[in-house]
Amino acid sequence: MSKSPINTKLNKEKNLAMVIVGDRCIGCDACYVACKTDWEVPALKEAYRTKVYEVEGVDNHGNPTIGFLPTLCNHCDNAPCVSVCPTGASFKREEDGIVLVDPDMCIGCKACMVACPYDARYYDEEKQSVDKCTFCLPRISNGLDPACVTTCVGESRNFGDLNDPESIVSQLIRNATSIARLKEDEGTLPNVYYVTVSDY
Amino acid sequence: MRRQTLNRRGFLKLAGVSSVTLGAASTGLPSPLRASARAKKNREERFTTYDRGVKTENFCEMCFWNCGVDVYTRDGKVHKLEGNKLNPNNRGHLCAKGNAGIQSTYDPDRIPGPMIRVGERGEGKFKQVTWEEAFEEVHKRLAPVLDEHGGESLATFMHGTGEQYAHILTLALESPNITVPAYSQCMGSREMAFALTFGTGMSGHEPFDMANTKHMIVFGRNMAGAIQLREAADFAEGLARGARLTYVDPRQSESAARATDWLQIKPGTDGALALGLIHVIIRDRLYDVDFIAKYAHGFNELQTHVKQFTPEWAEAKCGIDARTIERIAWEFAKDAPNVVAIPPRRMTRYGNDTQTVRAIAILNALMGNWGVPGGIWVRTPVPLELPEHDEPEVPDVRRADGVGEGEAYPLAPPSLGRTNGIFEATLTQKPYPIKAWLLYGTNPLSHSSIGVNGIFKAIDHLDLIIAIDTQFSDTVMYADIVLPESTYLERDDAPYIQKDKIPFIALRKAAIEPIHDTKGAYEICKGIAEKFEVEDWFEERSPREQLEALERVLSKEQLETLKRDGVLRFEEVDPYPVASGSRPAFLTGTGKVQLFVDDLVELHREHGEAFSPLPVYIDPPEPEEGEFRLLFGRTPHHSHARSQNNRILLELQSDTPVWIHPDDAGKLGIKPGDRVTIHSKTTGHTSQPEMVKITRRIRAGSVFINHGFGHRTPLWHLGNKKGTKDNYFISDGIDPISGAAAFHNGFVTITKATS
Repeated sequence: MSKSPINTKLNKEKNLAMVIVGDRCIGCDACYVACKTDWEVPALKEAYRTKVYEVEGVDNHGNPTIGFLPTLCNHCDNAPCVSVCPTGASFKREEDGIVLVDPDMCIGCKACMVACPYDARYYDEEKQSVDKCTFCLPRISNGLDPACVTTCVGESRNFGDLNDPESIVSQLIRNATSIARLKEDEGTLPNVYYVTVSDY
Repeated sequence: MRRQTLNRRGFLKLAGVSSVTLGAASTGLPSPLRASARAKKNREERFTTYDRGVKTENFCEMCFWNCGVDVYTRDGKVHKLEGNKLNPNNRGHLCAKGNAGIQSTYDPDRIPGPMIRVGERGEGKFKQVTWEEAFEEVHKRLAPVLDEHGGESLATFMHGTGEQYAHILTLALESPNITVPAYSQCMGSREMAFALTFGTGMSGHEPFDMANTKHMIVFGRNMAGAIQLREAADFAEGLARGARLTYVDPRQSESAARATDWLQIKPGTDGALALGLIHVIIRDRLYDVDFIAKYAHGFNELQTHVKQFTPEWAEAKCGIDARTIERIAWEFAKDAPNVVAIPPRRMTRYGNDTQTVRAIAILNALMGNWGVPGGIWVRTPVPLELPEHDEPEVPDVRRADGVGEGEAYPLAPPSLGRTNGIFEATLTQKPYPIKAWLLYGTNPLSHSSIGVNGIFKAIDHLDLIIAIDTQFSDTVMYADIVLPESTYLERDDAPYIQKDKIPFIALRKAAIEPIHDTKGAYEICKGIAEKFEVEDWFEERSPREQLEALERVLSKEQLETLKRDGVLRFEEVDPYPVASGSRPAFLTGTGKVQLFVDDLVELHREHGEAFSPLPVYIDPPEPEEGEFRLLFGRTPHHSHARSQNNRILLELQSDTPVWIHPDDAGKLGIKPGDRVTIHSKTTGHTSQPEMVKITRRIRAGSVFINHGFGHRTPLWHLGNKKGTKDNYFISDGIDPISGAAAFHNGFVTITKATS
């Protein structure tokens, strides 16, 4: 049997994931602004929960290329930020795998910011706590999509439960012609997938 | 408040307890654990509560294309903007600018109330007055100007939802000199070319069916950078469905990311490429014979005419090799009619722009893609008998901008006017004195045919500048009277009615009370009108009255839908009539698609080649040795020169790095990390030092900077002095047919800055 393309190590009730159709991202940064606005992320360039990188490269003929890489917290199943946290402020919800920071428990040591291989965390001076993407837990608990998914101009971002075979994310994983995750070799078991799909 | 350590320890203990254990023991927990369970419940509540707030319906005004917005307020403060799912302009999404609309409303640098200038023009010293005092001041200072020089000495520049009121006011004050910069500073030449060919312009809501196309040839239209949301979304959709993208641009913009072919064309030569493609398509009989036979006028003339434009000729002009031109033509035609050739949007570039877009329009016609999926869809007006209002007659006086019969630009539309013509008339005071400007949401210092220096000289001739704006832009600094408009989140507006693929009506209802002493455009223009005793023209024109008039023609069901959804769609339309077998109507002189334009024959005879009724290519001016062509364009994060004090958008883009090709940088000894200055011999201006971006993404011989920066408004605390303003370096060119501007013949030298 071939290896499952998705994380199954933890027996979560819901296996929440973001599936990004990479080719659809046009680099418009609508996600960045929608997210910062909804969660009142501090007005600093360094503070963000999601960010799109413009990646410049060179093709085989020496011609320049560009592409876009949307990034956010990967809500890892083996989350280095959780294991490094000395107080338990950084924790992973058993039921759905969302990685959160409890501001009441955070002592601001920033070990998690160093440990995170995805640069997904920032320090919020006002809250006196590290903060990060919550997969929009307050929104999804109230029947809404995450803010970045809702606003995504190219409809690149998709969110849902990989345990539900009918969910958009399951369908995309099933139909993907390629699946990638960031820094998989670090053993983090990330829950943000980058796919290409040919069948629309 | 931070919680006490004891509780945190409780959490720590709990973290080791599995939920099963917790469930089983829930009746007999020892007290510390029970407290922890409570804490966990509280925490659960904190992490899962979301107060969406109160929703009001609106449409966006961060740019001019009016996406539907659901505005969510909590305790009287706007918390979040989301796209209206039913609005065809955005289908539930918002771009970065649209999402950041809140920051523009809560910008600490907003205009606090009506202002009268007390310092020198540009100094930024104003005193706040009451609205009554402001209207009185307008009358006191404008009446003598109009008495002495006539109504026509007032010129109005307007852009935004409140345009209709500035329009009525200007006519009522007996001036014909009303201009909308969207024509001569932006889409003018594109609109002219499509109107001459197909009988209609493409408008700001372009009908290019990118979502369903199989192949799009995109000529310098940066869909993913200069974002009009639906077009960006359709572009992404089409590419995701496997459309080929031939992207033609001297710069590899955001839109080139997924190009099948990126043709790094020599700037200003797109017309030669399009004519080369037409040559191959006709030579190899790849055009839609049936469509051309039924609907086209002048095919035989075109066929003979384009024999000269061989791929080799095109290669010599545009730098794209002849074999590639042939291949693209074949590939494009193979997928016809579900293909589309897309012209630039701001086609105010090289002075040959109308002819260039004529060739692009004809490329579409030859594919027979009109009214066909994946080609060009046909828009339908809202099928309602809407009440019409009387308007003051356009005064019987010659316009100052060269538009009109017997004038230099007889084909340009008087409804939009030539903004560049008004600048010129103000500068020269010919054909008659222009002595007052009324600016509604426009900012000539940041974007104008005559550049910054020209605007300064023009302003010296003005006895009065009145600015209606939401913010202290560079130009507002030079206004004598500032009348602050409420932002779109703070004001009601007339219903928004869009002729479209799916025509629709959208509503704007104020989500919050105005934060400052501001008013809507209706109240402002009517307030001025009252002083001149011409307020009768404003009867039944208020946003509320216009909404009530609309409500009277809607059915009960339609009205309920509109009120519930904030948008009412009329879906019983066919955007693809040709595919459905109907005969399309073309509103041209001949009633056909005009490959040959009869209306240009006389102008051609009188004024020569530039007016050719068949599409021609005219070489743009070339830089001298050592000079570069300055290209400028948008980033996805900003709207024109309006959004650079928006803190969240500034996080995304706050500078204007100078893009230069490595070969050019090498010759000048410029290395990565260096700063350079831009200098124009023509305008005499030198920029502040800017970071250099050395990249093959810009063609050698040209440099590129982002548009919209370089503000010098002391009352903007975030956006001031960020980056360089392209308006210091642009060219004051004119396309002879449309009369629209040509900005990209500005030549500059680049010098390494000594730090």
